[in-house]
Amino acid sequence: MKKTINIPYGSQHIALLEPVRFQFETQNEKIVGVKADIGYVHRGIEKACTSTFEYKQIPSVVARVCGLCAITHSLTYVMAVEQIIDVNVSEKAKYLRMLMVELDRIHSHMLCLSHTAENAGYEALFMQIMADREIIMDIQEAISGNRVQFDFVCIGGVNRDITDEIVKFIIKSLNELQPKIEDIFDMFENNWSLSLKYKGIGAITKENASIYNALGPLARAAGLETDVRAESDYYPYEKIGYKMILEQTGDIYGRNRVRLREILSSIDMIKNILCDIPEGNIIEKVKGKPNGESVARLEAPRGEIFYYLKGVKQAMLDRVRTKTPTFSGIPAMVEIFKGQEYGDVPAILASFDPCMSCTAK
Amino acid sequence: MISAITKAFSNLLKKPYTCNYPVTPVIKPKNYRGLIKFNDEYCIWCDKCEKVCPPNAIIFKQFEDGHKVYNYNPYLCIYCGDCIRACPKTGDALWQCEEKGLPSISKDAPNDDWFILEKEAKQSRENYKAIKAAKKKS
Repeated sequence: MKKTINIPYGSQHIALLEPVRFQFETQNEKIVGVKADIGYVHRGIEKACTSTFEYKQIPSVVARVCGLCAITHSLTYVMAVEQIIDVNVSEKAKYLRMLMVELDRIHSHMLCLSHTAENAGYEALFMQIMADREIIMDIQEAISGNRVQFDFVCIGGVNRDITDEIVKFIIKSLNELQPKIEDIFDMFENNWSLSLKYKGIGAITKENASIYNALGPLARAAGLETDVRAESDYYPYEKIGYKMILEQTGDIYGRNRVRLREILSSIDMIKNILCDIPEGNIIEKVKGKPNGESVARLEAPRGEIFYYLKGVKQAMLDRVRTKTPTFSGIPAMVEIFKGQEYGDVPAILASFDPCMSCTAK
Repeated sequence: MISAITKAFSNLLKKPYTCNYPVTPVIKPKNYRGLIKFNDEYCIWCDKCEKVCPPNAIIFKQFEDGHKVYNYNPYLCIYCGDCIRACPKTGDALWQCEEKGLPSISKDAPNDDWFILEKEAKQSRENYKAIKAAKKKS
């Protein structure tokens, strides 16, 4: 008879970023079975959206689901509402929205990279990346007026316009950031002791990534081509020089590389956006009450985010459903853990970039 | 790897990234979203700001003689600026300043008094409606 030991990891743990519980079934040091339990930070936001708040107030409510994805949550919701009540957003508003989403992607990826470094035992690298991340936070504060809660998008467009002064500030800051990212890239690529913690650990094959529905950087690191930016044509990503970034290894090292290359490509895209922002209104007038159903999806930093709405010609919606990337990615995460060493778990988990406040809502 | 090591040592001689916050003030960007300010001289009492506010941080209390009193809870406010955009007299009656909201301490009783006020305001409206209806009948 096989002898296995169950080790709980979470809901509170020294190397755990957010409250989630994994039950690892281990044989010596090797993991043979995993059970995941989410829902420690459930706040009932979906219910509140249909019972307390009117549909025009919800962009501010869903922005508070998660501090990192504040812009992607409210933007996806707003896109879904605009489909129901037939509002055409101006090209300028679309460009400003893309600008904020790409900035969000940069700072979210930097946070993930810093945590991966910390959980592999590199406290100094963690501090360095977090300090460099401040540059992006400052840009977002200059555009939207707040560091974390942007409240930038609204139904029909965006709330604030961008000035020449801010454009100059963004370009100056991004030029400052780019060499720093290249330095970090060099560190992740060539540091021998970091490669011991990352290379070949937590790997997933392309087939398994496809079977277990991996998404976002997790899938792209394994070579699976999934990216909402390429699949939908709602935003003109091709015009601003979007390229899908793929790696073939599928391990922590591959995921880090995907994130670093995406940061660099996002910096280029932001520079392109700033060069050709079209003229026009930033906000359209909104009339009427939502009647019907709609779905919207967007590429958040962690993968595809999905909203389903149902309105019945009232100020309050009938149903708001959010499907967040971490929630969809859990089967793939569980699959990756099997066969790994228990000691590698913190680094593997950090490389997934899990966001539990999104998942539990 | 060598560049990383040299960088680590050169960092010892550099100033820290962080600033000594309460002593040195943080530089806020232009148009920072701060507290909401109100001037009752210009207000037309349309209650639009109250209706759009997501956390209900603005409440108008109705008095029997017809006039209203504006109440604002800076601890509940999320500084989204929806009230400013809804206001027909933006800039004169209602505007957003660049002053940062302060955290509350238990002495301020930010919740308890506010919840009592919320109930009172609701009740005051109903009373006013009833008085108006009674006047019409008579």
